[in-house]
Amino acid sequence: MRDRFEATEGALTALAGDESRLYEPLLGVLPVDGLSISTFGDFLPAETVSASDAQSIRLDELQLDLGEGPCWDALATRAPILEPDIRHRPTRVWPVFSEAIIDDDLGALFAFPLLLGPLRIGAIDLYTTRPGHLSDLNIRQTSGLATVVSRLVLARAIRLAEGDIEGGAESSRQFSRREVHQATGMVLAQLGIAATDALLVIQGHAFAAGRPMQEIAQEIIDRRLSFAVNENQIEGSHD
Amino acid sequence: MIEATREDRLIETFATLADTLVAGYDVVDLLQTLVESCADLLDIAAAGILLADADGELEVVASTSEASRLVEVMQLSARAGPCVQCFTTGTVVSLPDVEDSPPAWLRFRDSAREQGFAAVTAIPLRLRETTIGALNLLSTVPGALRQQDVRAAQALADVATIGILQERTLRESNSVREQLTSALTSRVVIEQAKGVISHSRGVSMEEAFVLLRTYARSNRVMLSQVAQGLVDQTLVI
Repeated sequence: MRDRFEATEGALTALAGDESRLYEPLLGVLPVDGLSISTFGDFLPAETVSASDAQSIRLDELQLDLGEGPCWDALATRAPILEPDIRHRPTRVWPVFSEAIIDDDLGALFAFPLLLGPLRIGAIDLYTTRPGHLSDLNIRQTSGLATVVSRLVLARAIRLAEGDIEGGAESSRQFSRREVHQATGMVLAQLGIAATDALLVIQGHAFAAGRPMQEIAQEIIDRRLSFAVNENQIEGSHD
Repeated sequence: MIEATREDRLIETFATLADTLVAGYDVVDLLQTLVESCADLLDIAAAGILLADADGELEVVASTSEASRLVEVMQLSARAGPCVQCFTTGTVVSLPDVEDSPPAWLRFRDSAREQGFAAVTAIPLRLRETTIGALNLLSTVPGALRQQDVRAAQALADVATIGILQERTLRESNSVREQLTSALTSRVVIEQAKGVISHSRGVSMEEAFVLLRTYARSNRVMLSQVAQGLVDQTLVI
């Protein structure tokens, strides 16, 4: 089981640059009938990045259009939303979304947030046609896979944005940007994550703020900006 | 008498460097020892070594102070200043008074002036026809370095060059380029490790580097290995 899970991580990572197919490895390993991956929230455009079928696309579009639904709650609470029997025994009710899916052939709905450090990136929505629970193991594994997906989806957004602007000039001259490397070290220590993820967090934050990475890095070094997780406060951001 | 002492120290430095080359070492640590020796032995205030990356851009890999201001002066010198001239011509470039900088070097001049540097000498890191970088010597008072200082600095720079290329042979890397990239990459990891220490110990980047280096020395571990351990969070110091 553990091997399968690791293989799925590898399969996801191998899809970097081909993110519309990210649903494939997930569908192969999770006990669901369909799923979608979308970005929305703090700073990324609301869009479906990958979806396994028409039902998934519909669930995603409804939520993105309505601005409510499991995926929004998952991202807001930074925790999975689990609805084992959405039509007959819902634990949450969304005024418009719940109404809109009343005639859909749905059993369970699950939503897992896409997060990287303090960054809220989007969500994975999963459904089954018959009511059913996810096991604790499934929940843990899906959360783990969601981290891999977060990384890929954020990298995709940054890649697309850079392509729009100046052909990725930010990524060149990597050695001279000492402040960025130093800030990467601070962020990885603050969040207990890998250096590549810490760099993505800085990149994502700069992207969200529409400011140069160098500036963000300097603020981190000067301790004016921290991503350290406090007990009550997840985003130790300055703004 | 003072000359004799200096000569002794110079011999001592070469002996230390030779030992380093015979035993295991990493390039960044070797270069760090070298710039510190330069500052110690020569009549200068600061020193730094820049290596060319895969695109031929010069990057600071070692400097006597980690203060970003010093790094910036050298980085500007590498864009348009004595450092890049030394690198492209493969010869020693001496600028006894930064006020005499040509118009193209104005940004470098202003930055040097602001940081209180009055004179610069750039020594090439050269292997036959290929120049792989430059050693920069900065003084706070105007005036050219004495000829014997320039000779000593060139000899130290040659040792650095041999060190970089010898490590290449040891690692059986395919090219000088690859070797330079590897030195620059380990510098990136060192910068990240400084950030880790700066966060965990609440110290400045400069202090973090001192802690990093002291730890590597006292535990006889390569600087780049310590840095990697900190970044991978398998080591806490």
